[in-house]
Amino acid sequence: MAELTTTKLNAESHLLLDQPLLRMPYELSRRTFKNAQRYLEHSTKELTTSLSATTKQATKSSDPSQTLESIDSMISKMTTLKRKLETLQEEERKLNKSHKARIRHLQDLFEVKSLVDVKYDEWSRIRLARLLVDYLLREGYSESAAHLAASKGISDLVDVDAFIACHKIEHSLREGHRTAEALAWCKEHQQNLKKVGSGLEFELRLQQYIELVRQGHEAAEKGDGEAIRKLVEATKHARKYFEKGTDPELFGRAAGLLAFKPWVEIEPYASLYSPSRWEHLAQLFLTTHHSLYSLPPRPLLHIALSAGLSALKTPSCHSAYTSSSANSASSTTTVCPICSTELNELARNVPYALHTKSIVESDPVVLPNGRIYGRERLKTYNEKVGPEPGWIRDPAGGLNGERWPESEIRKVFIM
Amino acid sequence: MDDLREQIELLEGSANLSATIGDVQSAIDLLTAARAKIANDPQTAPLTLAKLQTPLKGMVEQANKDLKPIYSGLNKYGKALDKKFKDKPLPAAENDALSSHPQLINRAIAMHLLREGQFDVASTFIEEANRRPPHPEPTASTPNPYLQEAWEKELADGTFNSHKLQEQFSEMYHILHALRNEHNLAPAIQWARARSDVLEARGSNLEFELCRLQFVCLFISQDEDYMSDSADGPLRAWAYARSEFVPFQTRYAREVQQLMGALAFWPNLADSPYRVKFLNEDAWEEVASSFTREFCSLLGLSADSPLYIAATAGAIALPTLLKLQNIMKEKRTEWTTQNELPVEIPLPPSYHFHSIFVCPVSKEQSTDQNPPMMMPCGHVIAQESLDKLSKGARFKCPYCPTESHAREAKKVFL
Repeated sequence: MAELTTTKLNAESHLLLDQPLLRMPYELSRRTFKNAQRYLEHSTKELTTSLSATTKQATKSSDPSQTLESIDSMISKMTTLKRKLETLQEEERKLNKSHKARIRHLQDLFEVKSLVDVKYDEWSRIRLARLLVDYLLREGYSESAAHLAASKGISDLVDVDAFIACHKIEHSLREGHRTAEALAWCKEHQQNLKKVGSGLEFELRLQQYIELVRQGHEAAEKGDGEAIRKLVEATKHARKYFEKGTDPELFGRAAGLLAFKPWVEIEPYASLYSPSRWEHLAQLFLTTHHSLYSLPPRPLLHIALSAGLSALKTPSCHSAYTSSSANSASSTTTVCPICSTELNELARNVPYALHTKSIVESDPVVLPNGRIYGRERLKTYNEKVGPEPGWIRDPAGGLNGERWPESEIRKVFIM
Repeated sequence: MDDLREQIELLEGSANLSATIGDVQSAIDLLTAARAKIANDPQTAPLTLAKLQTPLKGMVEQANKDLKPIYSGLNKYGKALDKKFKDKPLPAAENDALSSHPQLINRAIAMHLLREGQFDVASTFIEEANRRPPHPEPTASTPNPYLQEAWEKELADGTFNSHKLQEQFSEMYHILHALRNEHNLAPAIQWARARSDVLEARGSNLEFELCRLQFVCLFISQDEDYMSDSADGPLRAWAYARSEFVPFQTRYAREVQQLMGALAFWPNLADSPYRVKFLNEDAWEEVASSFTREFCSLLGLSADSPLYIAATAGAIALPTLLKLQNIMKEKRTEWTTQNELPVEIPLPPSYHFHSIFVCPVSKEQSTDQNPPMMMPCGHVIAQESLDKLSKGARFKCPYCPTESHAREAKKVFL
């Protein structure tokens, strides 16, 4: 039989919620490295070719100004490279700092042995702040997120900048109907996207094609000469990007767009022309982004809360009757967090916790109105409320409630 | 954790971009030197450039080579991460029952921020959330979140009125600040006095505790002239007691007597039996926390942030729930009871708030539909068990020899 209560803290299994905490900066570090590699490769290749070209040219002509000019351009290119690398180095430094802070934060948990330790309480409060910032960032409330992270001093433990960048791209798709930012992102993450077989880039290219065709049709309607040029551009675009591995059916549909005008409501073309495709692209970008950075599909706060609500919820939390053991009517009891306004409605649809044994206060007694209290608590309340020797009041009823002679209190047996 | 930290220290210490940047700088130096030479003597251009080839190529190669340690360092770190989280999957969307109620989550967060005293963050958040209301997403228990109930619509329209709550909590923080940082009881006493009736009915002695602390403060306060042994402090306390303690005379007769008794010991309080009551360093913290509890209770809220308790309980529960999910996936079974978790989740005792009644006969938890019933002998079983056992006739209690009729059993509330 499982234990009813536990105060033991198993740090290892407690880290379930914290994988993204370390994964995200790791992926960011890798991206920084890849960028550095790309810049370097690109610039050095250029350098070697232009150096040999300059050498060749210098032997042929005797005009030094041209040679000097090419050397200058080489120098300026290398300086640009250096500047870019330095920016990345700054990023690298920041990331390493946050890596270290996060590992230290998790390490702290391993030093706490018990769930009732004050240190666990502190740790868990930091975790809640992290979860809240994560939630705010995902919902796009970046300002609040940055504000909260700053006021809690946990900026190293959350990825505000990364999420802001992500939302900028999402926004450019959803509201701005632009593909450029998202395509740039795809380029930056090309290798990883290929590895997971993501269809994001194709969808973006398809959208570009659709927009070209739409512009072509619209121009034709106005009798504009641009029309043909746009449609030709569209076919070129299609040839360039759709050749390999395109679903032939989709390819056919895309070609069909050339014949069907955007305002003719015929499926499947209407749905290709539909503005809701931007919504779809934004969503696709978000899921691609999250899975690439090992972020769970739903906010961690939801996951922690769902589990927590169920673990805490009892049938009494949504009962029509006031619970004797936890209510706001008397100062001898505390309000249960699920009964509190904040979470009560949220918890309505989650299952309640399973209990196989009754949990009641020691020495329970019953009042004539059916309310059961621990004898000690009943006594304390009645002493505090003002001594009326021989009489007992119900803590849930208050001073205006009924009172009974002490002799009417009965012992009750709960097995 | 240690190997992760080692890897990161390695990355930070040696495997970083500085070496590569140094190489690029050397390449720039080489180019600049060559340029100077050619500018000085154009005739040497072909030779200089030819001589430049090898060292520049070397530099480029070196720069690429210096990236290698970062690459391998990151790889090792990645492997260490994989190892660390091998048996800890990312929580899936199935564990999420709340995406269909984003408005409620937002409200809970706003209230949490307010009760934590983060008023600035809260107002930023409320403003942002009203500008960009969230989109509900379907979950298992609420497949169609768009059919909102009325109260939820109200929230969605941004009619959640945070101002009142904010006012209340800022009052609370104002009073707490005065208590903790300034040791000023006046605002708290004023608050408690205004709610004297309610507090009394709740059986709370907050008002008296506050006044008692005030009395103690006056009593032990010293004049500037420390050595004078003047009885000013106790005299002021006595005057305070005469004017303020009248309403407490009946309810707290004993305590008032004790406080008055202390007056007799004022010159050497530290050696007197009243020492504990008067020279207690924790008194302020105790009063502050009991004030917080009363304040929140009067608003119908729990004293500690529910969001905090629920998220913490969730983190404690998650390993158990995930294990269960894996088992169910393997056996391809589903929960049979939709409204109850299939496993028990061990939580620390402080996370139990309500009493729990589990019928000893049916082993089911009592609900509103199946409430606990007390038989005349004082034993309690659930309504359904009672009906089954009695079948409408007299029956024997399963736990003692007493016989009774079902209609003699009485509904009880835990």
